[in-house]
Amino acid sequence: MENPYIPYPVKVAKIITEVDTKDIKTFRLEFVNKEDEAKFAYTPGQFAELSIFGKGESPIGIASSPTQPGYIEFTVQRAGVVTSELHDMEAGTLMGVRGPLGNSWPIAYLEGKNVVIVGGGFAFTTLRSLLNYMIHESNRARFGNITVIYGARNPGLLLYKDELEVWAKRSDINLNVTVDKGDAGWKGREGFVPTVCKEVAPSSENAVTVICGPPIMIRFTLPVFFNLGFSNENIITSLEMRMKCGIGKCGRCNVGSKYVCKDGPVFSLAELDKLTKEY
Amino acid sequence: METRVIKEDKLAGIIERMSQDMPVFAPVREEDNILFKQLEKGQTPLIRFANSKNAPKNFFFPHSEQMMKFTRTENGMAFAGAAEGAKESVLFGVRPCDAHSYLLLDMLFDQKEYRDLYYIDKREKTVVISLACVHPPYSTCFCTSVDGSPTAADGADILLTQIGTDYLAEFITPKGEKLLKYFADALRADDNVLAAKKAVADQAAREIKSHIPAKAVKPILDVNFEHPFWNTIHQKCLACGTCTFLCPTCHCFDISDEVKGNDGVRLRNWDSCMFPLFTKETSGHNPRSSQKERWRQRAMHKFKYFVDNFNAIACVGCGRCVMYCPVNIDIRKIVEAISKL
Repeated sequence: MENPYIPYPVKVAKIITEVDTKDIKTFRLEFVNKEDEAKFAYTPGQFAELSIFGKGESPIGIASSPTQPGYIEFTVQRAGVVTSELHDMEAGTLMGVRGPLGNSWPIAYLEGKNVVIVGGGFAFTTLRSLLNYMIHESNRARFGNITVIYGARNPGLLLYKDELEVWAKRSDINLNVTVDKGDAGWKGREGFVPTVCKEVAPSSENAVTVICGPPIMIRFTLPVFFNLGFSNENIITSLEMRMKCGIGKCGRCNVGSKYVCKDGPVFSLAELDKLTKEY
Repeated sequence: METRVIKEDKLAGIIERMSQDMPVFAPVREEDNILFKQLEKGQTPLIRFANSKNAPKNFFFPHSEQMMKFTRTENGMAFAGAAEGAKESVLFGVRPCDAHSYLLLDMLFDQKEYRDLYYIDKREKTVVISLACVHPPYSTCFCTSVDGSPTAADGADILLTQIGTDYLAEFITPKGEKLLKYFADALRADDNVLAAKKAVADQAAREIKSHIPAKAVKPILDVNFEHPFWNTIHQKCLACGTCTFLCPTCHCFDISDEVKGNDGVRLRNWDSCMFPLFTKETSGHNPRSSQKERWRQRAMHKFKYFVDNFNAIACVGCGRCVMYCPVNIDIRKIVEAISKL
């Protein structure tokens, strides 16, 4: 019986500064004990507690895909004690990871359907995991059309710029990247995510949308998808709450009777409608 | 079930003999308080007492508990071992309401998925000897309203019930039976004793004067999350957290790290849903932004959420939160009011 509170030791293998403001970085972690990687078998949409002894733990969505063996990645904004310590780290440092935690994007439900991924700003991390999972050669045939609408406030704040270029070249992804306001070098689309969703107008026929972003984006994007005919069952999102244990015991991340850490973080709008609005 | 009948004047001695072989935690008087403490050599426990101010939940879920150690290396802090396991021990003198709370905590900490080994280890290695309340000690006792009784065996490995000048010992679980040897001189209970026990139990239940409709409020809470009632109960709350710290069933905790020099520990400490920081996120957003939301959470958790998840009310009717709230918030009145919404 494993103690669910003890993290797996990992080494920071690579740190990528994602944005111009330098406060969002992707951390590539490698398991110190190779056998732990198998124990950490995860599904896109799950999260883990990043554990820095002496500072504490921070729950962060897994940004890599299980189709990328050998490491796991987390994209983290510098915010509190743990994430600031993380941002000050250099490659080679030892830390811990506890997980994987929570449910995941409903992969089985998405199979055979058209999938619309909508992401805003920094909330694109577990969507990137899902996208990389679905477009992997061993999985791509199991999913229908893939539409991606991803926006950031400005070009410098877009995450995963190298991958955006790769995805743009693929004919089997309808990729729509937008920024609220471009700069001198920006050749792409300008406009808020809800507006772009309206323009792209993905069909709701046999389709599910998976959406993550700041509350304001969600608020204006949902009506667009309702108008396109998406039902509450086919609009899926992920919640965040303050967490400590990550396994439904420490008592702080519940929304009604559900614990976001254990019963979530992924919920359909239909499921959220049954819960209280305390998040 | 094994039973033994012992004279009252022998009981303290039996417990004292157990304490020669293993740690025994039992009620003792300290200044004005009755506290559960490890018996020292030759010390006998209190037998006649009302109840302890603190619930005896900290033996399984300590106020502050070491989870793991870590130490500084060239490449950062590294894991240096889990906390030490628990020792076989005895917890004597637990009142039935508090013993009942162990079954509720078991539901949470010992789920199929994610077993909390810190809690489970202590639970498995501790024999709980309950002391029935033949005369429920407080006017605030309401155990019979929340699936309990002043003489119930729930959560106990051995239940002791005073019958006249004797004590009936019932060995409820195999773990309890392991202590039979300490009762070697005593006889098994005959039918007369068992009949007397029933009379004592009936009388004790009748002496509970506080009754609340705790089991009737769940369907009302199901549909009244937004009810204006929630604007009323929190207004005098100081957010001191006394209710949650004294509560036998409150289980919320924080995890924090402490470092001294090159070594450190990860601790789990009790936390409280009454505190603003409990749910405050790094961004500054707080889903429970005022004491209104926090009180709603406390009431909902005990009488709805826990029922949804485990089919049990997360309250054992010990009355501590009623007795010790500095501004006299009374959970009994809150439940009463909810029942009339």
